[in-house]
Amino acid sequence: MSSLTTAPALSPSVPAVRSRRRDLGVWLYTIPVCAIFLVVFVAPLAWTAWTAMHETTYYQLGAFSGADSFVSLLSDADLPKQLGITLAFSLGALVIALPAGLLTALVLNDIKRFKRTVRSLFLLPWLMSQATVGTIWLWFLNPNFGPATAFTTSIGLGKTDVFSDPVIALVAVTLITAWWSYPQAMLLFLGALQTIPSELRESLRVDGGGIWHGFVNVTLPYIRNAIVSVVIVLLMLYVQMVTIILVTTRGGPLEGTTTLSMRVFNQTFLDFDLSGASATALLLFAVNIVLTLVAIRFRRKESL
Amino acid sequence: MRKTQWGVLAVATAAALVLTGCTAPAGDGGQDEDVTLTYWDFIDPSQDNARSVALKENIEAFETANPNIDVQLEVVSYGDMISRLPQAAAAGQVPDVVKMYTPLVAQVAAAGVYQPLPEAATQIDDWLRPIDQLVDAEGNQVAVPYEYRTCALFYNQKILDELGVAVPTTWDELVDAAAKASAAGYVGFGSGFSDVDNSAIISELFDCFMAELDQPIVDKDGKAAFATAKAEEYSQFLADLRDAGAYSSSVVADQYSTVTDGLSNGTVAFGVLGTHRVVTIQSVNPDVQWTNLPAASDGSQTGATFGFTFGIGSSSTHAEAAWKFIEYMTGPEAQARMATGGEVPVRAASYDEDYFSTPEAETVLAIRDYVENYSTPNTYAANWLKIATGLASAGQQLVLNDISASEYLQVAQDAANG
Repeated sequence: MSSLTTAPALSPSVPAVRSRRRDLGVWLYTIPVCAIFLVVFVAPLAWTAWTAMHETTYYQLGAFSGADSFVSLLSDADLPKQLGITLAFSLGALVIALPAGLLTALVLNDIKRFKRTVRSLFLLPWLMSQATVGTIWLWFLNPNFGPATAFTTSIGLGKTDVFSDPVIALVAVTLITAWWSYPQAMLLFLGALQTIPSELRESLRVDGGGIWHGFVNVTLPYIRNAIVSVVIVLLMLYVQMVTIILVTTRGGPLEGTTTLSMRVFNQTFLDFDLSGASATALLLFAVNIVLTLVAIRFRRKESL
Repeated sequence: MRKTQWGVLAVATAAALVLTGCTAPAGDGGQDEDVTLTYWDFIDPSQDNARSVALKENIEAFETANPNIDVQLEVVSYGDMISRLPQAAAAGQVPDVVKMYTPLVAQVAAAGVYQPLPEAATQIDDWLRPIDQLVDAEGNQVAVPYEYRTCALFYNQKILDELGVAVPTTWDELVDAAAKASAAGYVGFGSGFSDVDNSAIISELFDCFMAELDQPIVDKDGKAAFATAKAEEYSQFLADLRDAGAYSSSVVADQYSTVTDGLSNGTVAFGVLGTHRVVTIQSVNPDVQWTNLPAASDGSQTGATFGFTFGIGSSSTHAEAAWKFIEYMTGPEAQARMATGGEVPVRAASYDEDYFSTPEAETVLAIRDYVENYSTPNTYAANWLKIATGLASAGQQLVLNDISASEYLQVAQDAANG
């Protein structure tokens, strides 16, 4: 047999070498990511759990206390109320910010002239820090000299005094948070809307389909996974929200706006109870996971 | 082999250099060693107001007199200071010079923020008020006063003239006068039960009222213990104001700044605020006057002495230089400069400075006399923040849930001890 016409048979070790090189390449990509994940997520989570299992004096760890902080947390009579406020605040802001973000994204997607300018205007709330947002609304809604009071007084409705009642204060911080965060939803939806093939819209127009028909049958299937992503992102944001509540009500009045996050803040910086705050933070983490898993269930598995 | 020997020598030399750099003793301002002092203050010296200018000039003058000491000021808001100092203590990064409000000295001392002041601090003996309450749990002096304040009754003379009401001299008279002002469309008594600003206004009133009643705030174990029959005079005053409709409709959410704004713009008839607000409010609204606190039932009008203090950070390795700076800032020259910004000097020697012979110093001198004669320092425990929050929370319940005066005290005390 000629060596020119017959290819030499591959030895069994060559596929193994190629396979090892591929594995090495994969590890080179994943090791840095895993390292960062360990440092910014796993380590702090472990440290939080460790802190929760110790007595603390200000920021110093003391004796091992086991599950005492968790028992204290779960037996706290205020916990159900704070959980309820957290859910009401988070879900309340979500049901406002999500459709608002989607609606503005749909409008912006169809604008042809001055698109960038209009988009920038809609983004303005998101560009402000949470502290600035809280301060601005605190001034705007000030019952003595705020513009809102000037308006409501002029039309005979009296002063705007939204932060003096626990329920109204909760509604107020929910609305403020939704107003600040809807541009994030808008941005994410704008990105998703770009993935819709223009031919589908064209054919729908040719077939005489209306706006609602187009939204339900063309837009919604394509952005369904984006909706899930937006829900997850926003829920995580709201469950962890502290600053806007801190600046406007600090959890009051009568703890009517004290969410679990505010409880963590108060335990850390008011009570200096780091152990209790750590236990609450872990509960908050669990709440976040549950809400996220629920949202993920609605994710479309197959692609269009 | 030669390569190895040279390599070992190089490593040893490098190690020696590094170790020398690590273990060289830190300069402490003694002799001519260069020292950098870190100092947190909420006053921004780059601003163009009297207090900022005075602070900037004081630091420059100190550095000129001590060319080897550089003062590095970091502007930190007061609220941030309260939360960051304990963290800094845990991390071993407390600034060399610590500025803190009197009621919170015990709390930050318990958090390990301070180191005891040097022996030289005991040489100063002309403080206008006693300083023996500015100690840590072991009884070491950890802070000295930097400026003095106490509570005063602020009132709008124009509103009083309009209503034909005399300046009240007792708490009951104040309730009646506030009720009349309220009926005329003003806010009768400016207060606030919000804890957004660490319950500043209600805790200040409480502090002064307890001093007037000679009612200890905490027991010997440091637990809040003010829910007594004696203290009910204070909570009854709050309840009476509620029943008279003398509060603002938004009192539950009002803060210190709400009341100062209200006095400044003439919508609030009465308020109890710290004397540090006299100059700023009167500069905006000259109709606002101030006088002694109303008298308690036993005739006492002696409120609490408070204000900002200086101490040395527990992490500081420049204690000598830090004390030099504190001694300068509480000394006559710096205090006279500070007084131009409306702050009241804390040492008798300061008042020999020329500034206090000028007409501009009239208000500061009047406040000095008032602080000296009508205030006494309270003793605080390491839970002032919780007490303050408890007072605000109880106030919210007083207004929204209509609780009684005795319930108010119990709610506030339970919250502080919870």
